[in-house]
Amino acid sequence: MRYKTVVTEVGPLVADFVREGRLVLFAEGAPEELHSFSVLHRPEDVFEEVRPGDVVHMGGIRRRVTAVGDVANANLKALGHAAFKCNGKEQPELPGDICLEAAELPMPEVGQNISIEVEG
Amino acid sequence: MGDYRSVSIAAGRGGWGGPLVVTPTDERPLIYSVTGGGIHPVAAKIAELTGGEAFDGFKSSAKFDKIACAVIDCGGTARVGVYPMKKVPTVDVYPTSPAGPLMQFITEEIFVSGVGVDQISVAE
Repeated sequence: MRYKTVVTEVGPLVADFVREGRLVLFAEGAPEELHSFSVLHRPEDVFEEVRPGDVVHMGGIRRRVTAVGDVANANLKALGHAAFKCNGKEQPELPGDICLEAAELPMPEVGQNISIEVEG
Repeated sequence: MGDYRSVSIAAGRGGWGGPLVVTPTDERPLIYSVTGGGIHPVAAKIAELTGGEAFDGFKSSAKFDKIACAVIDCGGTARVGVYPMKKVPTVDVYPTSPAGPLMQFITEEIFVSGVGVDQISVAE
């Protein structure tokens, strides 16, 4: 298990992001100006660096991680911040990106778990 | 009341935008650090040189109209656009170029990136 968390709030603009194949996460306690487009969540006390080939589990679906930007793990560890992009890229466009296979994401719901796990 | 000075903040290696000149005022005293792990050294240095107040955005909240500048460690999607959209001068410690859903707000007059403590100097 690399990371596990539970969704506590879904901002009003998240649906727009999901339609564009993006999902932005911040741990609870993030400044209010970031809430509107973010999924807020309460992470469990587990962290390992996320790597390409890992799998994100969310709302009953699995999405393979295809690339991890240079600062993505630091963001996840310190702030519970992740920028998922469903573009299937093997080279991240931005240093904060965690790229996932190019497929639709479900709309997150409060109370749902999101986890990142080693494939297997 | 505060006795504030100005600093010039330039883009570092691989960075974009700026230079920004930041001068806190009594109305806008805060050097707002929206970074992992507490007040970032870049925010601390800006506060030290200007006489502004370093403020941890992840500990408590501040109104946009109190912020002299925001210091972020954003890899390109979210924070990079939020503060420029609100007309808050924004300093990214990572060398990020304009990107993300809010990129139209990110201009070189309001955003500078790749900034380390060596890119901050007292402005004449």
